[in-house]
Amino acid sequence: MTGWGVLKSLWTVLRHFFMTYVDDFRYGPGRRYRPEALAERQGAKAQGIFTVQYPRERLPLPERSRNLPFLVEDATTGALRCTACGICTQVCPVQCIWIERAVDAETGRPLRRPAQYHLDISLCMGCGFCAEFCPFDAIKMGSDFEVSSYERPGFLDATQLARRL
Amino acid sequence: MKAPVNLPEIPPELRGNVKLISFDTLYNWARKRSLWPMLFGLACCAFEMIATAASRYDMARFGMEIMRASPRQADLLIVNGTVTKKMAPQVVRLYDQMAEPKYVIAMGACAISGGPFKEGYNVVSGVDRLIPVDVYIPGCPPRPESLLQGILALQARFDHENIASMRAFQKTPDEGIPVPLLGPDLADWQTLWLQSHPEMQVAPELVDEETISQPGRIHPLEPVPFGDTAKTVLILQSRFPRDIQPLEDGLLVSPSKILQVADYLREQLSYRILSNLTAVDYPNPPEDIPESCIDVVYHFSRLSGGGTVALHTRVNRTEPRLASLTPNFPAANFQEREIWDLFGVRFEGHPDLRRLLMWEGFEGYPMRKDWHEAYFEAEHKPYRSRFPNGSKPRSAESRSPFRANVRLPEGWQPAEDGIEEVDRLLYERMLSADRDPAKPLGTEELILNFGPHHPSTHGVFRMVARLDGETVQHLEPVFGYLHRNHEKIGERNTWLQNIPYTDRLDYINGMTNNLAYCLALEKLLGWEVPERAEVLRIIMSEFSRIVNHMLAAGFLSNELGLYFTGSLYALEERELILDLFEAVSGGRMMFNYMRPGGVAADLPPGWVERARELVRERLPQKVKTMQTFLLDNDIIQARTLGIGVLPPEMAVACGVTGPVLRASNVPYDLRRADPYGIYDRFEFDICTRQHGDAYDRLALRFDEIWQSLRILEQALERLPKGPVQSHKLTPLLSVPAGETYTRIEAPKGELGFYLVSDGRRNPYRYHVRSTSLLNLTPLSAICRGAKVADLVAILGSLDLTLGEVDR
Ligand code: SF4
Ligand code: SF4
Ligand code: SF4
Repeated sequence: MTGWGVLKSLWTVLRHFFMTYVDDFRYGPGRRYRPEALAERQGAKAQGIFTVQYPRERLPLPERSRNLPFLVEDATTGALRCTACGICTQVCPVQCIWIERAVDAETGRPLRRPAQYHLDISLCMGCGFCAEFCPFDAIKMGSDFEVSSYERPGFLDATQLARRL
Repeated sequence: MKAPVNLPEIPPELRGNVKLISFDTLYNWARKRSLWPMLFGLACCAFEMIATAASRYDMARFGMEIMRASPRQADLLIVNGTVTKKMAPQVVRLYDQMAEPKYVIAMGACAISGGPFKEGYNVVSGVDRLIPVDVYIPGCPPRPESLLQGILALQARFDHENIASMRAFQKTPDEGIPVPLLGPDLADWQTLWLQSHPEMQVAPELVDEETISQPGRIHPLEPVPFGDTAKTVLILQSRFPRDIQPLEDGLLVSPSKILQVADYLREQLSYRILSNLTAVDYPNPPEDIPESCIDVVYHFSRLSGGGTVALHTRVNRTEPRLASLTPNFPAANFQEREIWDLFGVRFEGHPDLRRLLMWEGFEGYPMRKDWHEAYFEAEHKPYRSRFPNGSKPRSAESRSPFRANVRLPEGWQPAEDGIEEVDRLLYERMLSADRDPAKPLGTEELILNFGPHHPSTHGVFRMVARLDGETVQHLEPVFGYLHRNHEKIGERNTWLQNIPYTDRLDYINGMTNNLAYCLALEKLLGWEVPERAEVLRIIMSEFSRIVNHMLAAGFLSNELGLYFTGSLYALEERELILDLFEAVSGGRMMFNYMRPGGVAADLPPGWVERARELVRERLPQKVKTMQTFLLDNDIIQARTLGIGVLPPEMAVACGVTGPVLRASNVPYDLRRADPYGIYDRFEFDICTRQHGDAYDRLALRFDEIWQSLRILEQALERLPKGPVQSHKLTPLLSVPAGETYTRIEAPKGELGFYLVSDGRRNPYRYHVRSTSLLNLTPLSAICRGAKVADLVAILGSLDLTLGEVDR
């Protein structure tokens, strides 16, 4: 036990501390938080400060990033794309999707749209199976993450779930 | 500072006195910027909370500089993960001990409602049933930004509070919330109140009519899947002609002879590792099983490699008894306790047969097929109520008269002290075990509870130690605080629905968990995997190994008193690797990426370049820095050298695998010993270290990171073009009848899935051979004689994830 190893460790930490200022020198003081600099600061070559100043700046999310599902609304007609095929209710691991298929009042035949669509957002495990297996691309995984609430979340109906692409 | 303060009623003579208002504003402003979150982790979501505290998201920016490990110094409880019934009393107790004014954030689906595990028998359906919650953050897990936004939402709430109406400043003193009791089931005060007021109970809704599943004939897909173990089978058959019958997927041993056969396997045929031990319940047996029984299954393997040998033995269901293997195979210890706990098979000769995951006094053996939990809806998913007539969605709470996930027998009354009853057997053992006969009873002894809430236990894990001064005389690990009923839920799920659940086992290594399960499924299905997918699987597994080993090293340094520094370095690299994982799978922690027959999606453009840059330029340099930082450090050396030595013989006998085994100088790695995927085509070394102490276990992880980088270099270089999925998946996949035990070398060791299919859309049996649990088998032995301060070093060097230990 010479203490040399401790000094080496301390040097590592000190070096790390100094490195958080390199970006200031590179971009000029205070300019490291520009959006152009973000990708560089978060890339494999980054040496300097690693912090993303959320909520002032946001990390760009990858295209496939998923958090909670939403229903796709047709941009022109405003109707849901969902055809009430029921596949999402079959694949959902936590069984949090409830659909009532619409029925033609006169003939009694099932229609290709849901009368009601409910999804329990407090159970959803964000697995993305519903979006993966939906044959009509009618349900998709959103990447929106600012979803906190003061009340216990629960069942959302079709209007709350619908979103235009 | 403009704040919408609700003016309190000010008596007329005091009107005009504006001090109170401005004081509120000042007070709220100050409180807003000085929240003290508690360092408290329950499950997977805790990792996102740790990520929030680490460099990229850095919640110190919002005035939460350091998380407090003691509830008395904290005022913000972030409930991050599944609250189990076994943990519920502790959660309430911690809340009661926090200083007023205090706040609670329910982070993630599990904390809000029980989430994906809601139907489980050991899961509380939402922490708001126990303690008041201020902010809910849905997601599974919520991203770190999500948590930050939730915290900001909580801070925004402060502006609306004033001292006059705050809960903390009311004249009537807050009595605290009564701590729930553990009896036949969890009994919180609401349940107890409802129990004594039957008129207030609700009528449980009827469940879907579906009979208990009738398994079909169990037979394997291929004639005899023994491969190199075929000869072993022949030898055993000739040696024990009367007591062994060949099954198509193993050997059926008569219960009275199981000890002899196991010993023969170990002594004569060198099957020294008891890899896996579990049971299958057959209340309504299929045609090739004569009567209803519990089938206990043993899988043995050899250090020299090759496949496993499966022994089955059947015991009756009414009073199942079987000889215990624990005296000869210590690896059976926890696994037999688990079977006793969940199936009720009594192992005779077991030195310490207590419940492993549930608590003493819990009613029933939950893994039996005819045992149903309070939220039971139907035997198999998908449930029929969801479609096409799912117009009235009902929450699971409507299934129980107590509007909660509990079943209390009629007339049950809480004992005077429920907790003591729960732990009585444990403490009796604590007082008697490992007693030195030369030392008289009761000299300066202390029983110390360590956990389940402790920042150094990697989650909700509890150790009880009997101390003589500073020296540990005996130690018992206590499990089950994160028992989320994976297996019970898994047997209800369809085959595909289990993939995202495996992510939540060892939540640091979702990729390898996915892989092990998909490999097992492929074995049953007989599917091939395209070349590109094979390479992708290896890339993901090795990245996962790097993340795991870096974190293990980082957290060990944390526990040795470096505080966060080491973990922060590790978490920084983890973030960069998670970026890659998220780009390909969509999830930061819960990937759901592997599928039977390949992987879910091909790489997005530019991925390989990013990965290469990371592997070639960044990681080697960072790993080297971290290695210098930790391994050369004299203080780390002083704390870990010669601590917790695990001799190789003990390691093998205890069923330890992975880096922990290799650090004890046993070169056993399933990537070589029983190769899966295309590992046989890659060049890499199996690392070992000589001494088996905590330092070697730490150092070995760095050795393995270098090997993983080597594999990654090769894999990224030779990534072929082509499809990534060989079959079109249908949601309700049926799997041919058969059974398999499939194992891989996960970052922590041997991760195996034992699956039994009856030819239908749901597994008949779904068992996870958990690495972390088996790696804890020698914990008690290697802690004996250690000092209290070394316990954390030993535990940290074993590297466990509670999600996998308790499942
Ligand atoms: S799978 Fe798609 S189309 Fe079918 S019911 Fe679900 S959302 Fe609608
Ligand atoms: S993401 Fe998964 S859990 Fe959520 S609704 Fe879709 S299938 Fe169900
Ligand atoms: S399963 Fe894990 S990640 Fe999902 S909400 Fe529960 S604790 Fe969080």
